[in-house]
Amino acid sequence: MNLQKVISGFFFILAMTLNFGFFYGEMGNAEMHSTYELFAALIISLIATALKIGDKTQIGSVLLASSLVADIQLIVAVIVWTVIEYTSASGMTPYHTATIVSLSGGAFLANITSVILYIGETLKSKR
Amino acid sequence: MRDNALWIILQRLRIPLIVIIVTYAIAILGMVLIPGWDGEKAYHLTFFDAFYFISYTASTIGFGETPYEFTYSQRLWVVICIYLTVIGWFYTIGALVAIISDKTLKHELMKGRFRRHVQKLKSDFIIILGYNHVNAEIIRKLTLAGIEVVLIDHDADRINLFKLEESSMGVPVMVGNALLSSTLKDAGVNSPYCKAVVAHFYKEDKNLRITILTRFLNENVNVITKATLRDTMTALLDTDIAKVENPFEIFAKRFDIALTAPHILTLENWIYKNSDLADEASFLPQGRYIICGYGRLGKVIKEKLDKHGMDYIIIDEKGIGTKEMIKNETFIRANADDKEVLLTAGIESASVLVAGTQNDIDNISILITARKLNPELYLIARENTMKEISIFEATNANWLFMIEKILINKTSLQLSQPLKHSFLKKILYQDEEWGTSLVNLLKAQLGSNPQLLHLTINEEKAYAIYHALQEGEPIGLNILLKSLEDWTNYHKAIPLFLKRNGDEFLLPCNENLEIGDEILFACDALSREEIEIIALNVYDLHYVRTGEEVQNWLLQKIFNIKNKNQS
Repeated sequence: MNLQKVISGFFFILAMTLNFGFFYGEMGNAEMHSTYELFAALIISLIATALKIGDKTQIGSVLLASSLVADIQLIVAVIVWTVIEYTSASGMTPYHTATIVSLSGGAFLANITSVILYIGETLKSKR
Repeated sequence: MRDNALWIILQRLRIPLIVIIVTYAIAILGMVLIPGWDGEKAYHLTFFDAFYFISYTASTIGFGETPYEFTYSQRLWVVICIYLTVIGWFYTIGALVAIISDKTLKHELMKGRFRRHVQKLKSDFIIILGYNHVNAEIIRKLTLAGIEVVLIDHDADRINLFKLEESSMGVPVMVGNALLSSTLKDAGVNSPYCKAVVAHFYKEDKNLRITILTRFLNENVNVITKATLRDTMTALLDTDIAKVENPFEIFAKRFDIALTAPHILTLENWIYKNSDLADEASFLPQGRYIICGYGRLGKVIKEKLDKHGMDYIIIDEKGIGTKEMIKNETFIRANADDKEVLLTAGIESASVLVAGTQNDIDNISILITARKLNPELYLIARENTMKEISIFEATNANWLFMIEKILINKTSLQLSQPLKHSFLKKILYQDEEWGTSLVNLLKAQLGSNPQLLHLTINEEKAYAIYHALQEGEPIGLNILLKSLEDWTNYHKAIPLFLKRNGDEFLLPCNENLEIGDEILFACDALSREEIEIIALNVYDLHYVRTGEEVQNWLLQKIFNIKNKNQS
């Protein structure tokens, strides 16, 4: 057993599950989607990215790319939320909530890709 | 991925990045969870409020407590946050500084700079491996001749030493192991502009290794290297791309020539700019030769003396003479630096002494003793390094054999002026009569120190001749020698050498020129100018060929009409 693999695997999968937790629920209903969960998803996603940095292999670069996609989607979702909360006159509408949730849905897909790649690489390994 | 520097930075930044993310996350989450008081009721900071607050607190800017004044429970958490995040930042900055001063990273950055610099070279360049006395001098001569060089040495101190030199301006340098093919690739051995690799390592197996590597990386590149042992030399020559310089063989050839044709040596010294033609050329004295040291130098000298049937005796402390030598009593096994030994060898009646041991101090000591015992003696001394040059000069040796100087002269001439080098190679096989007549001719016509002019028949250097030849007009070499003041006369220049595709003509006389010919002239300042003008200027070329000025076609027509009217 490789401790490094445990830690990185833990963060990759946690990033995906947290993301799913936020994404799951009625699209337009803001009460179904917790800010805390979005915050946690973003933080764990950033940590996962940092863990993938500096890997020179082919699979490492694809992993990093998918992780960056997830980060960007989540950061955009957070910014949209903040801007609407503080500056929009109408406040949170179901339309806005749907935008945020679908952005996190995109991030969720990227997370799934990176987890699948990670599992594939692990299975390929002879050790 | 060739750029390793970026990856090194990214890999080292992994932990610091995670530390910052985690500390921020803890601080923000705490700020959101702990309830505050807005004066009327309890409230929670939003994530944005918390991020805003932590951002300016962690970076020690400190705008104060927003949006409302904090409660004590919040302040307690803020204290923890400040220490947590500031420590995170300090750790990251420390890590960054450590990365920047990291040796591996510095090396990678230097390698990257070097590679980019080499790739930017867009004219012919030469790779020099190792910065030593010989190569320093070669670099100086090549940069003077306007040829780009690239330098590699495994020792960072020596590279720094080189950077202090004047000739280091614009020369790409790298600290690296020249024995690895990756280093040679970085130095641009695969570039079409790379013309040669110079490797003058003291250890000859290194030279051989570099030659073989270069052979496989790019077989169009020449390797110029030295070999003093015969088996390394043959191994090097077998690679087909090496130009091998054996200073001992070179000296032996000179020694041979000095015995039979000293004027050739005068010519050679003039081309190397060691001295001018006025120097008295004299044969090496006949008589008994004493050779101190039977190493690589002693052996080649013995061969030449045998060839001419001269009388000699060898003194060496360590070597063992062959049976034949012992039978002929031409070998003494003793320390040559001993008065008694020199007397036994017959120094009082000898005419030449060669101080040719591997030790410079021994050689100097032998010279001094020998001079005392026989002031008439002709002294030949071997000097292994150029560090002691002034002391050797003070001993008044008649002929100094400097290994390093031979290498410097030969390599830089071969690289910067290949035509002169081919000329030299050719004249070494001429006899004394030829040498004497050429030296006398040059001296009579051009004085004791004529200049050398290298002319290539191409569009850039000989525009007029190039175009005339392209139109199929025959032009003889003599056209170039005609005087611009009076076309029936000649100026003083003497064509020494003509090179055409592989053919070489010594002292060419009125050959028909072809495009691509390379010609070497001996000339003075005036005739140099005339040759260059004739080669370049269409009008002057026309004048020396026909004796007429080129006519302006309009004026010509008017004159023709006038002439007709008059007649």
